[in-house]
This record gives sequence, structure tokens and C-alpha cells, in this order.
Amino acid sequence: MTRTIHTISAVLLTLCACKQSGNTPTSDEIVLGIIADLTGATADVGKPYNEGMLAYIDDLNAKGGLKGRKINALSEDYAYKVPNAEEKYKKYKQAGAIAIQGWGTGDSEALRTKVKGDELPFMSASYAEVLTDPKQSPYNFVVAPTYSDQMRIALDQIAASDPGAQVAVFHHDSPFGMAPVADGEQWIKDKGYKLGYKDYAMKGGATDHVGLLQQAKDQGARFIVIQNVSSPAATVARDIAAQKLDMKIVCLNWCSDELFIKLAGAAAEGHWMIQPFTPLSVAKPGHAPVQAYGKAKGIDVEAKGLHFVQGWYTMHVMARGMEKVAADGKPLTGPNLRAALETMDAVDTGGVIGPVKFSADSHRGSLAAGVYKVDGGKIVEVAAAVAPKK
Amino acid sequence: MPGVATGIYHTSYESDLRLRHTRSEKARLVLCIAAVLALPFMLNNYWLGIVNAIGIAAIGAIGLNILVGFTGQISLGQGGFLAVGAFTSALLAGRAGLPIPLAVAGAVVVTATAGAVVGLPALRLKGLYLAIATLASQEIIEFVIRRWHWLTGGQGYLEVPPLGVLGWHVQRTSFERTWYWVILATAAVAAVAARNVFRTALGRSFMAVRDQDVAAQAIGVNLTRAKLSAFALSSGYVGLAGALTAHYTEIVTWERFTLDVSVQYLGMIIVGGLGSIAGSIYGAALLMLVPPLLSALADAIRDAAPFLADQLPALQVAAVGVVIMVFLLFEPRGLDRLWRRVKDYFGYWPFRY
Repeated sequence: MTRTIHTISAVLLTLCACKQSGNTPTSDEIVLGIIADLTGATADVGKPYNEGMLAYIDDLNAKGGLKGRKINALSEDYAYKVPNAEEKYKKYKQAGAIAIQGWGTGDSEALRTKVKGDELPFMSASYAEVLTDPKQSPYNFVVAPTYSDQMRIALDQIAASDPGAQVAVFHHDSPFGMAPVADGEQWIKDKGYKLGYKDYAMKGGATDHVGLLQQAKDQGARFIVIQNVSSPAATVARDIAAQKLDMKIVCLNWCSDELFIKLAGAAAEGHWMIQPFTPLSVAKPGHAPVQAYGKAKGIDVEAKGLHFVQGWYTMHVMARGMEKVAADGKPLTGPNLRAALETMDAVDTGGVIGPVKFSADSHRGSLAAGVYKVDGGKIVEVAAAVAPKK
Repeated sequence: MPGVATGIYHTSYESDLRLRHTRSEKARLVLCIAAVLALPFMLNNYWLGIVNAIGIAAIGAIGLNILVGFTGQISLGQGGFLAVGAFTSALLAGRAGLPIPLAVAGAVVVTATAGAVVGLPALRLKGLYLAIATLASQEIIEFVIRRWHWLTGGQGYLEVPPLGVLGWHVQRTSFERTWYWVILATAAVAAVAARNVFRTALGRSFMAVRDQDVAAQAIGVNLTRAKLSAFALSSGYVGLAGALTAHYTEIVTWERFTLDVSVQYLGMIIVGGLGSIAGSIYGAALLMLVPPLLSALADAIRDAAPFLADQLPALQVAAVGVVIMVFLLFEPRGLDRLWRRVKDYFGYWPFRY
């Protein structure tokens, strides 16, 4: 018995000792923390996003880093759990990170006040409206149009196609899912659209959404805007096809991807997508560096999908901010990076995402998203860079 | 107790009632106090943050142990009660503008009341049926905090003012260390208070209910009073843990109070030892330490075994489950019992008993 205790304490002590020696950054490196979802509820899209970020850093370091300084990107899984994200955040802060790349709406909101206190610029794949207002969130930066803006674009498109249609909003049952719901309703009022509008929460883990579709059918819905990830959205598409309903899905960015088509199969045909990041099936000049990296490393970036590109270019914007700090000859600190991101020229991503431009009054990086349609098992561009109507 | 002694003999009632009987127990207490006082000066902010989380979890685990371990009433509603404490304190401090200590005290009272209400079915239900009733309370509370727009003003989260009393505010630079002292003081008071409850008639009636409720009633224990006060007392502790979580993390969202949390706390008290205050603390410490220690291990062996390091995030989740299973199989009475056996071994050495 005591031997076991001794062994256990010996192991624990060794671990504590290891932690001192492991992964200590050298003074020349720039430390950056990445909070990734590799095993959690959104891992299907979180993993390629994370791989895209690490690929960008790998590429940048191979090309000499930032003015000769390498970036040490610490990346750990938080399994989409807010307390884990807080733990990782503290770890990165301890390791001397000067900026953080987060992931979901829950963790971005939970860390919002902390990055403000610690003055660490924070980007994430959560495009919630509150994160774009520097008065409330001075250290959060949003590269893509917000969920609310995507919803506005979706409603503009629907109103143009069928002015009197009923719209049902199916959303994930969380702050992420709820984010655009109220703003969409307001948008219909502001623009004087004649659209009907009702929102429905999608239960997590549901194997079918026939019940929700029945309610939408009773509402008379012709369009279903989905603010959720691909797998449940694909289930809705399959249910629509099975029930032979005359409904069109309009996916906002987290279900507008190749996975939706793969999972829904033929049932995906004809549905619409609002996606700020151009998928690889629609060629843009900005895809070239990503594809070149994939070719050099033997990674099939087409198979990784557009979230890989999304991670790549989110990191690109962060790196451009760091470059600007270095170009101004200032020490690389959180406040300096924030100032650089606010004052740097618009970041051109070769058409992958609209030019990203921040200012001191707005951390809304871009307004426009692409409108796509699923045609022949592929994502086909309907209109590029569509912003919400003025 | 020296090796040649055959046991502890009391010659007065006072000595029987003492919390610590032997010189070595007192010596260990001194060592323990020295260790917790030295801790914030030895750890960096990251590990201190984990210790703080352990401190808060320990208070919640003590609360749950009062109900499950000492009174024998199973509860799956821990996450819900944590939420009640967190939201109450956040609203009282943030919206009503009460000083934070008062807001925390208010949260304790409100959660204790909520606990007593949820405890009502316990008067008629036992075992699995009670577990399901408390599960229902967890779901109801979760539903309310997700859907009641007034709570968060429709934002889905609630910002909490940082810790401060009478014009003094916690500084970002000394954040973890300041919180360490606050949590340590609160947890110490909570643990000593809980330890003492079980030396009173009320506390003993809890254990009588656990061991055999019909017999307890037959010898004059008021079952209604015992069960409801166990629920209220337990929930009061959990509310305290919830309120501390709210002010420590400075933000409250429903995502932190799901059923997973209830299960995790049950894991803590099983691993630590049902019916033991010290065990609650050991269990909280072990379950909160497993994931960061595993990730430290992943860092350490990243170069030697990158394959293993890649798989570690998944192993983290599994490890907690394995720990609970190992304890259920080999030492169902938890770390506390294990520690006692270690002490006995050395106490009786070189004899077996």
C-alpha cells in the first residue's frame, strides 16, 4: 500500500518538475496561445480550423518568422468547455503569450473581461456582435462579418427572392445559436420586409428534426435559416428531402461547408449558404499560398475544407498586426498589438474574405460574405462579397 | 500514537470530544498550515489558479458530501444549485449594487432555501427515485437560466463586478494570490464548520437517517427536520461555492452549471470518501489535478513520444473516469480511508494490527 503511495507521489513530483523545464520559450520567440476544440462538441470543424492556424505559423516560421523572430504557438484542446478554456488561458498568460486565438462563443465571452484586464488581443471563430464593440470588448477582434450581419445578408437574399415568405430560424441552443436571432427580427422591421419570422431551438444530439420541421410547416415556412454546425443542419436537409417539403435551407457560416454536403448527400442540392470564407471549390487568388503549403507538406487541403482556410487567414490577420508593430519599431506587447491592429491598412486576403480593416471605434473586421448554392455536390458561387443592405 | 501503544484512551469527556487526539495529528496540522501558507509563494499564477479552483470545488464537494455522504440522500442537482448561488450573487452585486460579501451571504441563503424546496420530495422518495427527482431539479434550473431573459438581459451571460470591499479592488497583477487567501479563509471556515456540525445533535441525526431512517425515527429523530435541514445546509455550501465561482471568474453563463458538473462533483466525493469532510477536499483536489497534470505530462514527453502527446487530450477525459472506477473497485471509501490505512500501518508498525 505505502509503496503505491510512494510511487504515486514520486510520479506527481516528477511531473511538477517536468513542467518547469518543458516548453519554456526563449526570449527571442513570440509566444501565442491557441485555445482549440479538438475533442469537444464542435471538434469536426474545430480541428481543421486549428490545423489551418498551425499550418500558417509553420509556413511563417519556415519563411524566417517575423523579422527573424519565430512564433511559438502553444495550442491545446479545451473540449469546448468554458472552465478548460479559462485554465488554458491562464497557462498561456503564464507562458508570456502576447495574444490569444480562441474558438467558441462561450469561451470568447467568458474570457472577454480577462483579456481586457490583461491587455491581450484576442481573436476567435465566434462572430458575435458584442465582440466587435471596442467600448465593451477593447481587446477582441472579429475578422469575419458577425452572425447578425450574416443573418441580415440572408434575410436580404430571401426578401429579394420571395418578398412575402415565411422564415423559420433553426438555431443551436446556446449563446452561439441565439446570437443573430433578435437582430434578424429587428432587421426585418428596419427594412420594412414583409417576411414572417420565427425561431426554434434545435435540441443537441437529436437524431432527427421532424418535429421542428412540422412546426415550421405549420408556420408556412419556405426558408429555414440555420445557425448551427454542419451535422445537425445536414440532418435537417435529409428530413426535408424525406418529407418532400418545399423548403430551402439558408446556412450561416458554421454549416456552410463541405461537411454539410458530404453528410446530407443528394439532399443538400439547391440549398443556400452564407459563408464569409471562400471555399476551395471557388478559386480565388488567396487560396494559392494555402494550396502551395499543402502541396509542399503532402496535406490534402481540399479534404480539410474551408475551415482550414478560415484558420489560416484568421492567423494571417493576427500576424499582419504583429508585423506592423515590428515595422513601427515598437516592443511587441498586447497594447501595442491592439494599436497596430486598429491602425494597420486593410488586410488583403486575395478574395478569400473581404478586406479586413479594424479601427479604434470598430473591431468589425469585414461586413461582406459570399452567397453560395449547392449544385451537383459542390459549393457554387452565386454572388461574391455581399454586404447587408444599407 | 507510539508503536507500542494499543490504542487511544480517553480519561475525560473533553479529551473524547477533541478534534485532534494525538501529538502526531497536531504535528501534521502544523505542517499542513505551514504548507498552505507557503503555497502562494512557491507556485506560479497558472498553478495557483488551479489551486484556487480546487478550493472552490472543495467547498462545493463538502456541501454535496453533507447530503450524500452523511445523510444518504443522493443528489444529481449540484450543478443547478451552483448556478443558483452564482446567479444570485452576481445579480445582488451587479444589479442591486450590494457589497460583495453581502451578495455572497445572500446567495448562500437563497440557495439554501432553494435546496430545502427541492428537498421536499426527499420526504417521500429514496434511492434512485430521489436521484431522478434531483435530476429533474437540475434540468429545471438549467432550463430557467437558459431561457429566462431577465436574468442576463437577453445576452446569455452575466458580467460580475470584480472582487472588492469598501473601495478596495483586486488587482490584475496579484489576482490569483489575493483570491488564494480569500478562498483559503472561506474554505477553512467552511470545513471546520462542517466538521463541527457532525458533533452536534443535528449532525448526528443526519447520520442516523443515512444508516436507517426508520430506526432513526423510532428513536425520536424528526425525519422531516433532519432531511430538509440536510438539503438546506448542503445547498448553502454549494451556493457559497457557486457565488465564489461567479466572482472569481467574473462572468456567469449557464454552460458552467450543466449535468456534467453534478456528475463531476459526485465523482469527487466518491474518490475522496463518502461521509468524510477531509475526503471531500482530497477528492476535489485529485479530480481537478488530473487534467492539468496529464497536460503537463503531454508537454514533457512531446519530443520523446509525439504520438502519445497527440492522444492525451482524449486521455484526459478518460483518465477521470478511470480514476473513479479504480476507486469504486479497490477503495470505495475513497482517499480518506486510504490515508487512514497508511497512518494505521505506520502507527502499528512493526505489527500488522
